[in-house]
Amino acid sequence: MSPTRIFTTLGFFFALFVIQESAVSLIHFPLSGFSLYLAIAISLIAFEDHNGALVTGFLAGIVLDLSPTSNAPFGQWALILTGIGFLFAVNRDSIADLTSSPITFVLFVAGGVAIALVTYLAFGALLGEQNGSLGHDGKVLLGNTIWTLVFTPMFLPALERVREYSLTARER
Amino acid sequence: MARGGGNRSRLLLVILLVTALFFITLDLRGVNLTKGSRSISQTILSPVQRTVSDIFSPVGRFFGDIKNFGKTNAELQNELATNKLLKAEIATNADIKGQLTQLKGVLDLAGRGNFKVVAARVIARGSASSFSQTITIDSGSSSGIRSNMTVISQNGLIGVVKTTTSSSAIVLLMSDPSFRVGVRIARSQSVGVLSGLGSNNYSLVLLDPSGSIKIGDTLLTNGSAGNKPFVPGVPVGVVTSVDDSTGTLTQTATVNSYANLNDLGVVSVIVSAPTTAPTTPILPTPNPVVTVYVTPAPIPLLSPGATASAIPTPTSTPSSVATKKK
Repeated sequence: MSPTRIFTTLGFFFALFVIQESAVSLIHFPLSGFSLYLAIAISLIAFEDHNGALVTGFLAGIVLDLSPTSNAPFGQWALILTGIGFLFAVNRDSIADLTSSPITFVLFVAGGVAIALVTYLAFGALLGEQNGSLGHDGKVLLGNTIWTLVFTPMFLPALERVREYSLTARER
Repeated sequence: MARGGGNRSRLLLVILLVTALFFITLDLRGVNLTKGSRSISQTILSPVQRTVSDIFSPVGRFFGDIKNFGKTNAELQNELATNKLLKAEIATNADIKGQLTQLKGVLDLAGRGNFKVVAARVIARGSASSFSQTITIDSGSSSGIRSNMTVISQNGLIGVVKTTTSSSAIVLLMSDPSFRVGVRIARSQSVGVLSGLGSNNYSLVLLDPSGSIKIGDTLLTNGSAGNKPFVPGVPVGVVTSVDDSTGTLTQTATVNSYANLNDLGVVSVIVSAPTTAPTTPILPTPNPVVTVYVTPAPIPLLSPGATASAIPTPTSTPSSVATKKK
């Protein structure tokens, strides 16, 4: 991943973060909300190659750590999304090219969101954070996963085009 | 990774993980760099959130409007207004009755009107990617808002100010699992601790195992020393179920809040409360009024000086008069 692309990705994630915190979080989704940020971040991780997935995950996590409403320590999301990037990088070869099968891709993204949130809860529990009852957390997880399944197909074509546009000739 | 990435990928992974762990360690050790970055992001976000809130609020209520489809707006507004009036009346009546029963004049709920408040608009809600329950309001330290101030809506308590910037503040909602508030039951004056559960229900644990609690009891904030973070007497909620099984050390109950945290448009931050309000009623206090005025027999046993110094005075009337004279 070139330095230019790192800065472009960072800027993109920050813009996405502002949209998530300002607009998406205002919508009262049934089943406790939808994180557009996580869905797009994990989609981008899935698009990337091995090193790209790691760096994209880390950058997405660092920006998400800036959330002023978060109780988690700064760096927790960076750690988790780097881990998610690693998972996608490792399994990329075994699951073939995800982009050739949109349904599989959406399922993987929704799964990635669910794993990220479960890991967030697990880290929170280890660090002594109070994240609510099991029932409530389950509802948030279910809600996020369902809404990711619903909305990912809608933004996926646009996201793919934006990504293609941002790639340098060498990276293509 | 071993197949495609090789040593370089492994090294990159280790570097990124170590960097993330480094940030976590810095944050947990209280280094200002990480706290400052969140404060800066809040400063950047709040003007955007304010603008987007103006444009986006009808969309935000979209799902709620679908649920209430069929009811006219006028009907809804009428019902809401009636509900608010009734809830306030019930809270006031139950509290006054409880205090009269125990001859305690610790708090006059009418005094709640003497709170000095700063009204603020809700411009954002907590992120769905974290499990914390917060809102962002469009007033901050420039309006006199500081952290640990009580935040109320028309129906009662909604939370406490967590952090502030000059133009915005983040409010920790009472539904957050880390939220705790000392409450007392208006009818019996028993005190307990109310905790958020991440939903519309709340858990109440009575401090005194023999305290009286019933379904339908009204809860009010107990207050904190110096009125921070909680001023006393703010309506909190109503008891919906009581668990007084013999296996438990103390009584617990489930509570529904008066305030609807999903429908917050304008809230008020209490920047100062009347100094005459009881600040530490959590301690069980004897009732000196009964001893002195109702039963004359014990009076000769106690000298006036001993009475004044030995018995705590929970009533606020004399001190309030003195304060007002100043």
